[in-house]
Amino acid sequence: MFAASLYIALCSAKNRMRMRLRRLREPRYFIGALLGAAYLFFVFVLPRRAIGRRGRRRGFPGGEAFGEAGLAFGSVGLMLMAAVAWILPATSSLFAFTEAETDLLFPAPVSRRDLLVHRLVRSQLGLLFAAMMPAFLIADAASAFERLLRGLALWVMFATVRVYFAGVTMARAHLGSRTLSAQIAAWVPLGITIAAGAIVGTPLIKVIRLIPTASFPEIIARVNELTMSGLQAVVLWPFRALIRPLLVDSVASFAAAIGPALLVLTATIAWVLWADAVFQASGTEPVIARAPAGRRRQASAPRVRAGSLALALTGRPELVFFWKNGMQMVRSLNLKSMLPLMILGVYAVVGARAGFSTNLAQAVCLAALMLAGAATLLGPGSVMSDLRGDLRHIELLKTWPVGGSAVIRGEMLWPGALLTVTTWFLLSCATLLSDAAFPRVALDWRLAFAGVAMLVAPALIFAQYTIHQAAAVVFPGWIPSDNDMRGFESMAQRLILFAGVVLALIVVVGPGAIAGGLAGLALYRLAATPFVFVPCAALCLGIVAVEVFLATEALAPVYDRIDLSGVERGD
Amino acid sequence: MALSVDHLTRTYAGAGGTTLTAVDDLSFSAGSGEIVGLIGPNGAGKTTTLRCIAGILRPTAGRTAIDGHDLVADALEARRRLAFMPDEPHLFEYLTVEEHLRLVARLYTVTDFDRRARALLDELELTGKEGSLPGELSRGMRQKVVIACGLVRDASTLLFDEPLTGLDPIGIHRMRETIVARGRAGACVLVSSHLLHMVEEICTRIVIMDRGRKIADGTVAELAARSDLAGAGSSLERIFLRVTGRDAPVEQP
Repeated sequence: MFAASLYIALCSAKNRMRMRLRRLREPRYFIGALLGAAYLFFVFVLPRRAIGRRGRRRGFPGGEAFGEAGLAFGSVGLMLMAAVAWILPATSSLFAFTEAETDLLFPAPVSRRDLLVHRLVRSQLGLLFAAMMPAFLIADAASAFERLLRGLALWVMFATVRVYFAGVTMARAHLGSRTLSAQIAAWVPLGITIAAGAIVGTPLIKVIRLIPTASFPEIIARVNELTMSGLQAVVLWPFRALIRPLLVDSVASFAAAIGPALLVLTATIAWVLWADAVFQASGTEPVIARAPAGRRRQASAPRVRAGSLALALTGRPELVFFWKNGMQMVRSLNLKSMLPLMILGVYAVVGARAGFSTNLAQAVCLAALMLAGAATLLGPGSVMSDLRGDLRHIELLKTWPVGGSAVIRGEMLWPGALLTVTTWFLLSCATLLSDAAFPRVALDWRLAFAGVAMLVAPALIFAQYTIHQAAAVVFPGWIPSDNDMRGFESMAQRLILFAGVVLALIVVVGPGAIAGGLAGLALYRLAATPFVFVPCAALCLGIVAVEVFLATEALAPVYDRIDLSGVERGD
Repeated sequence: MALSVDHLTRTYAGAGGTTLTAVDDLSFSAGSGEIVGLIGPNGAGKTTTLRCIAGILRPTAGRTAIDGHDLVADALEARRRLAFMPDEPHLFEYLTVEEHLRLVARLYTVTDFDRRARALLDELELTGKEGSLPGELSRGMRQKVVIACGLVRDASTLLFDEPLTGLDPIGIHRMRETIVARGRAGACVLVSSHLLHMVEEICTRIVIMDRGRKIADGTVAELAARSDLAGAGSSLERIFLRVTGRDAPVEQP
């Protein structure tokens, strides 16, 4: 079965690449690829050559720079990720079989374990690409061989993380199991994670409390000390083992470090296979291995929730898409699994506001600000419940009597509104706690900043969504139909798209920002109150709204000409 | 004419820089109340033809029109008048049966939605499944939902691509009745199917395609006469094999 899996993975990769190369015969894709290659060359390759000319240094880069500090912070970070994985409202797709795999391999005379190993094998090429891309593109003086080793180290780490998350998904799904063996298999790893979290977390909180008073080298020294001593060292050993090959400074030390990392990977795979066997033997529903093949489906079947919103039979066509995308997202989310995160968030905000701790209030305020920034700037790239997500339904959409501009506007309405409301909520939390985090800033300035941010955020979000919709209609074949990286081309495309979004954002938001800024400065001279910036932010929002409207109108003819044969489909 | 297809051509880029012509200079028309069967061997271009008529694919050359509205130049008006029911039931995973119908009703401005939806759900034996998501339905049921979405509005032209796939015998029987009833009510119906006995039974006219081209067009009697099979009680199957040049006996190995 291993050979068969390898055969499927390699043939699929080869044919996918051939198909993508064939697509380059279309001028728009060819020009896009050329621009992408130029972007990669100027952003990644050229700076690397410049560093190389300035003088090569033997050994792995970063070995000295990060050293033990990198190892300490990296291992603690990985451990935190491992703990957070239990409460993340997401599920692993590692063992989600495609329709072809379900129809062809499940009836074949192969064991269940072989089927799981097959999925592991199939995921490796993607992970290898994901590991090699940063290893080879990051600008430093490392040789090609050193980069290869660094890529291999990253690969082992990525593979371990992926398998671990699949195991967590599997265990989480069986926490409510009625069989004792399944309960043990589900609860023991969670118990171990909680215990490990407590062992590392307790001294870590003490270190965090030092942040306002201690210097940065002191903090590093304390974290190093924390990770190297006592029980913490034992708990963090697997995480250190995974990080260490990335930070060694010679080939010999890499050879010595990769062994323990592979051991951790093997142990993780063994755990997942064992857990699956236990769950299978207990007779519980095998939710993971027989996960449906639909690209966006979840491991758990979607359910119709009470209180579903009925669509009115009249109104603007854009609202149909708003309703559709909203219902789809609400039903696709596992709200139960989000509950711990919600409780944690509410507790943090309420606790901080109630004066439990000034440090907590500061931390929550800064975290809310950072999350608001991330939701505004990175959200539109990640929340793809818009035309990008609907490209697989494009045949149906194209039969509807709705103009292209209305489709595009409607498709981005829900995700844009969702991110806007999320950002507003986070900004409100930050404003509420801002007196603790920014005690030197006057209340009127803090309130004015909140008002400006709340108006600028939707401008940035909808401008980005417009750019993403434009990319979807111009390059439908380049839009990934799921969130998985699909080889070099996809990764390069994402980088290009990211650069394109940044440039286009400057172009789209620029006029509004300049007009709003100038108006703000002029008004401030007259009124000398920070609140004058709020209407100026509204002016910026208005200008961007007009631009977005005009852009969607301009995209309509392109939407009508979408070439469906350019949209990659199938397995 | 309710449906007119004039010199429709559609090509695809093939491997090695070649061009594959899926539909080649196809012309035909159909009037109100006509039920036209579109048949042909695999790869004949039937589905591509239907997708071009539905506005999903842009023709490489030629034009298609619904009630005189060009599918490219006057796309929205044309789309308002047609319903396309594809062979693969692609539905939104997280919308219920009733929500799918409501969505379509909103898009096509259906006024008496509740009455129509109830009648259709009864007609297609979907009553009781209104609150189900597509993932909870069998393939045949999902096919029925797609057809219900097409029929919930008053389309003047109905396009069915393999409408009987996945249906049980009762479903097949009802679907035949449904198609005939829509034709009698004045709709122009174009049905693509490999089930020749069904096509022969319900269609008032047959268009046969092979390798992207129309090779025959007429009633069963007309086609039989043209292929020298008249008077022999010829079935559409015999006519089809004769017209497509595949009526020679196959040598068994």
